Amino acid sequence: MSSNEELGMGSYVGIVIGLMIIVVIEVVLTYQHLPVRTLLFSLLCLACLEAFVGIMYLMHVKYESRLLFWTIFPATLFVLVMLNYLWPDAYRMARMSLGK
Amino acid sequence: MSESELTMATGHEVLMEASPYHIEKKKLGMWVFIVSDACTFATFLFGYGYMRVGSQNWGTPFEFSSILNGIIMTFVLLSSSLTMLAAVRATQAGQKASANKWLGLTMLLGTVFAILHLREWVKMIGEGWRLFYNPMGGAAQFGACFFSVTGLHLTHVISGVIALGFVARGYNQGRYDESHVETAGLYWHFVDLVWMFVFPLMYLMNAR
Amino acid sequence: MHDMTAHAAAHHAPPQGFIRKYVFSVDHKVIGIQYTTLGLVSAFIGMALSWAMRIHLAWPAASIPFLGTLSPNGAPGGVPTPEYYLSLMTMHGTIMAFFLLTAAPMAGYGNFMLPIHVGAADMAFPRLNMASFWVTFVGFVLACATFFIPDGPPLSGWTAYAPLSAVGPVAGPGQGWGQNLWGLSIALFCVASLLGALNFIVTTIDLRTKGMTLSRLPLATWAWFINAWVSLLAFAVLLPTCLLLVLDRLGGTSFFIPGGLVVNDKVLPHSGGSPLLFQHLFWFFGHPEVYIIILPAFGIVAHVMPTFTRKPLVGGWKVITYAMAAIGGLSFVVWGHHMFVSGMSPYMAMVFSVPTLIITIPSVIAVLVFAFSLYGANMRFSTPMLFCLGFISLFISGGIGGFFLAQPAVDSYLHATSFVVGHFHFTMGLSAVFAAFAGFYYWFPKMWGRMMNETLGKIHFWLSFVLVYCVFMTLHLMGLTGSVRRYSQFVADFMVPLTPTNKFITIAALLLGATQFIFLFNVIWSRFKGPKAADNPWHATTLEWDTTSPPPFDNFGGRQMTVYHGPMEYDGDAFVMQTSTEKSIAGT
Repeated sequence: MSSNEELGMGSYVGIVIGLMIIVVIEVVLTYQHLPVRTLLFSLLCLACLEAFVGIMYLMHVKYESRLLFWTIFPATLFVLVMLNYLWPDAYRMARMSLGK
Repeated sequence: MSESELTMATGHEVLMEASPYHIEKKKLGMWVFIVSDACTFATFLFGYGYMRVGSQNWGTPFEFSSILNGIIMTFVLLSSSLTMLAAVRATQAGQKASANKWLGLTMLLGTVFAILHLREWVKMIGEGWRLFYNPMGGAAQFGACFFSVTGLHLTHVISGVIALGFVARGYNQGRYDESHVETAGLYWHFVDLVWMFVFPLMYLMNAR
Repeated sequence: MHDMTAHAAAHHAPPQGFIRKYVFSVDHKVIGIQYTTLGLVSAFIGMALSWAMRIHLAWPAASIPFLGTLSPNGAPGGVPTPEYYLSLMTMHGTIMAFFLLTAAPMAGYGNFMLPIHVGAADMAFPRLNMASFWVTFVGFVLACATFFIPDGPPLSGWTAYAPLSAVGPVAGPGQGWGQNLWGLSIALFCVASLLGALNFIVTTIDLRTKGMTLSRLPLATWAWFINAWVSLLAFAVLLPTCLLLVLDRLGGTSFFIPGGLVVNDKVLPHSGGSPLLFQHLFWFFGHPEVYIIILPAFGIVAHVMPTFTRKPLVGGWKVITYAMAAIGGLSFVVWGHHMFVSGMSPYMAMVFSVPTLIITIPSVIAVLVFAFSLYGANMRFSTPMLFCLGFISLFISGGIGGFFLAQPAVDSYLHATSFVVGHFHFTMGLSAVFAAFAGFYYWFPKMWGRMMNETLGKIHFWLSFVLVYCVFMTLHLMGLTGSVRRYSQFVADFMVPLTPTNKFITIAALLLGATQFIFLFNVIWSRFKGPKAADNPWHATTLEWDTTSPPPFDNFGGRQMTVYHGPMEYDGDAFVMQTSTEKSIAGT
């Protein structure tokens, strides 16, 4: 059974404000003229952090059974990891258009 | 176990194995759907990444005004997650009026998000952006990726607002209870969390 | 100790009226029969298309009667043009792979049997289940509709590779509305499959009756459950792929269309896209898809075999289930073996080749479990068992071809030859279909309350078994000589000596098709005139045999079904049903 007794509404307000702060950090980072790869990596890390916080608290998974966590995360992450096999051909396409 | 699941035709009880997840079947169903929808969004985003990596002169077209619009949209969506949480808590406490207020606010914030988004689309289309055309001379893929990814997300937001409307109506008529609202809330938070990826990848990575 | 909770029998009241009972029904049994019927119809349509193809390959100038009427443009005088041949091939693949092989053994039998196997009154979400079938049906109608539009069906293959499939009508006949309808049909199929998978997962997890722990699940149910997860994740990627293809076709985007393409003397305005991206995304789904097709087959054989060997499978439920789970998981890491000659990075070729060889390990374990389970068996050679034995033979034959194709160096030669056609027909088309036949003959008495004719069943099996080898093993040999697939005629000089072989394959294929009418006759005749079936004609143990044939509306007549044993309590003539309170005799 789900229950929200673990956290009060005030805590949720705090969590959402925390997420908004992360968004602001992302925007600030964007305008720091970082190399593209660094910016991408940082934004992805922050986005993953937001998603994790959102899933655990907003979607309540922290207070659900551990089995739910270990079902949804591995399944989704597995697909996300496997899709990364696309990158070698994406970079080849880039090199090919440069005539290499 | 909610009351509404017990009001079925035959009325006699059967013993079953308890769910190993200790949640209702509609919640589990929504989680399974969320897993699949996450993979769908991921495919679009990876496709966008592939296009961007593989193309020359991608370009970074978004001025700060677009980014600011995006920040406002993000805050609106995050606030709507908060109001959704408040709605779920209200239904769990049996406070119908309060639940309706928070559900209505969530729908309103979702609608505001959609309006801001569509306003931005209209502005971009007015500047010449199309699925196949980049008025700033960069890769034509930009429009394709931007409109398809944000379009898919916008479709989810609008369907979510409509679904919340149905859930609110059902809740008021007594056909639905707090578990339905909570299940709808899961979908709503998911849509918000997808935006947590779309905004950095689609907007911030393309900021001037 | 496991928890138990008391729930109200959470199901709907019996429906009234013909439409609610047989058409728009939420009853999983009706939906299962609807899917199975759709599969049967698809099988005959797909076969008819293959007959047209085979006749043309053997006798290129022959007029194929019905074709001239169906498409005067595509088959003037009944002789298919090369383009129309490719259209026939495309729809043969599409209808067979999606609407027969993906739909019938999983959504057909699974929908009927899974709730009964776990002791539930229906699926977790009955209305969603009904929606899934009707969405599939609309997809099927759209696919068939491509034959009746002026331009005809698409010709890009069931794989619909870009840029051919993405550039629109300029690419050839059928590439206008034919391909659009195809894309829409498949997108709908994706949605229906996703929702169906969701239903299977939640039902298996949440709706098990008292005592039905996961270790006591029937093996077909385990297969459907694992398969549902694979389906969920695979179709979730095909859906956006179809959407991106449609955007390229109708929205002017260039996800998959490279720059500078000249098609039929027209310079296309697209640029920047990647055909390789389409292949990656398609096969990301496409490889798990072939396991989506074969896993229910493994499950059906694992479920049916113990009934006729009268002993548990070697290794109990765990070995075969872990093997199926390993196959399901590994199926996501091997898709590049379809792309060895596509221009994909050769380093990626190795990255895909190694897991492709690794995935043979659980597959071989599964087949060995089946083969070794025959040892010491008290065999009953009924038709379902014969088809299980046929499955073992066919899967081994087809699987061995996979070892060759898994190596990029060898595949460079064999890719796009008839060797591949032989390989996938054996593993997908024949093994899965034989397992589906096994399931059909096995569960027919339960579904319709009548027995099928054993003699006709045996004739059906033996003729089919011999003829499938004639057709598809010969195709392997043709492929080794260099016979290219997807060619409508063989005019190369090295192919001319193989003309008699070509004709042999065609004749065998036509005879194989004719044999299936024996099956069809058996089905229709037995449905109405077959001897009445008892509750448990096969003396089997799983829950479907502990209820009437056919089951009542709520599956068990309101009884509390409590499970005490696993599904394989067989010892020769003796057996203990899952719901029996007697002591275990086989230790499962």
